[in-house]
Amino acid sequence: MIELLNVSLNLDGKQILDNVSLKIKKGDIGVVLGPSGAGKSSILKMILGLWKPDSGCVVIDGVDICGLKEKELLKIRRKMGIVFQGNALFDSLTVRQNIGYFLYEQNEMESKEIADLIEEVLTFINMPGIQRMYPDQLSGGMKKRVAIARAMIYQPEIVLYDEPSAGLDPINGKQILDLIKKVRDKGSTSVVVTHIMNDAVSIGDQLTLVNNGIIVENGSVHDILNSKKEFVKDFFYEIFQDIELLKKEQLV
Amino acid sequence: MESFKLTLLKLQDYTLLTFDIFKGLSLFKKYWNDILREMYLIGASATRLIFFGGLFMGIVLTIETGHQLDEFGAKTLVGRTVALGMIRELGPVITGILLAARTGAKNASEIGGMQLSEQIDAMRAFGTNPVHKLAMPRTVAAVVMFLPLTLIADITGILGGMVVAKLSLFVDSSFFWQQVFDSLAIKDFIAGLTKPLLFAFFISTISCYYGFTTRGGTTGLGKNTINAVVVSCAIILLLDFVAAKIIWEFF
Ligand SMILES: Nc1ncnc2c1ncn2[C@@H]1O[C@H](COP(=O)(O)OP(=O)(O)OP(=O)(O)O)[C@@H](O)[C@H]1O
Ligand SMILES: [Mg+2]
Repeated sequence: MIELLNVSLNLDGKQILDNVSLKIKKGDIGVVLGPSGAGKSSILKMILGLWKPDSGCVVIDGVDICGLKEKELLKIRRKMGIVFQGNALFDSLTVRQNIGYFLYEQNEMESKEIADLIEEVLTFINMPGIQRMYPDQLSGGMKKRVAIARAMIYQPEIVLYDEPSAGLDPINGKQILDLIKKVRDKGSTSVVVTHIMNDAVSIGDQLTLVNNGIIVENGSVHDILNSKKEFVKDFFYEIFQDIELLKKEQLV
Repeated sequence: MESFKLTLLKLQDYTLLTFDIFKGLSLFKKYWNDILREMYLIGASATRLIFFGGLFMGIVLTIETGHQLDEFGAKTLVGRTVALGMIRELGPVITGILLAARTGAKNASEIGGMQLSEQIDAMRAFGTNPVHKLAMPRTVAAVVMFLPLTLIADITGILGGMVVAKLSLFVDSSFFWQQVFDSLAIKDFIAGLTKPLLFAFFISTISCYYGFTTRGGTTGLGKNTINAVVVSCAIILLLDFVAAKIIWEFF
């Protein structure tokens, strides 16, 4: 379970997060939505403990991680995987070394086993045979998929995705969503940051709408679509339009 | 006052980084491959630079001192000045400055680039301490490789001096070598061989520090790379002075 309790963060004199509270239950997919610059990526960095809050705390599976030292944090982070918004692939390493990074670092498996696992994952994300390539030889969408493979290969308990389907074609985008669901079905807790509304509605067990570092609305898809708040309506206007259209078609 | 406080904070961060690098030594075996790669990049592939750097220093030193000595009819002593000059001072300092530029720029820009593209964050996210994975191997590699590189500079410098002494000052080579061996004492080797170890440690830790603290895009990266090289060079000159003082006082 992931819990943020009244988390505030100030960077360079700017309020990035303001009293943010958020709870994502074990095994759920929590979706964080919001306009650009709202603080979505910052929330993920707080969950990983890469940034420390000025006040409030972040609790992962009952452990308050804000008071922990980096060494203890490294241990907690080993049960998490993350897809960074800019991928953050290691550009001096090959695709194989990138995807297997965690497993090679842990050094608990035979390298043959790891290689087999990598091949399996690459087939799974539809890019077999690219083990020896370097990240800068890949297209944007391919990099994204490699980043996703790197985060999920060791089946961490918690997977964080920052804009996983941004920049992908609809077919690949859909595959990524299916992948996220598959990972969830294996028992992982997921946090997905996105601004693609349809994706959010289709995979989210629980939606959180952020704006200017503040949580505007929080709840199930149903709760959000029935919210009376102006910002929610503005943000979801595309979906509301679709609903209107459907209703009209049914009337005809 | 503010900037003084800032400098103190930076010094504190730098000190913590060096402690963390020492702690990282316990992962020596795990990161053995990284150490080997850095030894190649920092050390082996700098051989040519150091070879020619040392050679030309030796040649210039011989020409300059040779002609001065010649005026007093003492050109036969040239082997002495070249050997002492190279082993004690020019070998270590020229190697240090050349490697400060080369290794310093390499470390600061590599690690800084990784910092900017969130690769350092990614490392931390995947449970690795980036200081242990990046800074420890670079520091070990530098400390191990700077010594042989300095020796190469010393030797090529003296050899260059020998050739120039023969061709332009007409000093017989066997006489030149006799002067070289007569002049050198244990303390010259202590001075000449401990300096590279110190230089390596400071160049590596300083440049890694500037890499990790890179902020503000490519401009920030440029600024930090400059700082890494400038501060490393300044520290080399300072350490050289301190070492010279200590050796004259105590040996
Ligand atoms: N390293 C940093 N230092 C200072 N301010 C930062 C830093 N990173 C982000 N910010 C600021 O924090 C705010 C939130 O950034 P964040 O990256 O969390 O937004 P986001 O919701 O992920 O946006 P996007 O959808 O564009 O990725 C922004 O106003 C940004 O300017
Ligand atoms: Mg973002």
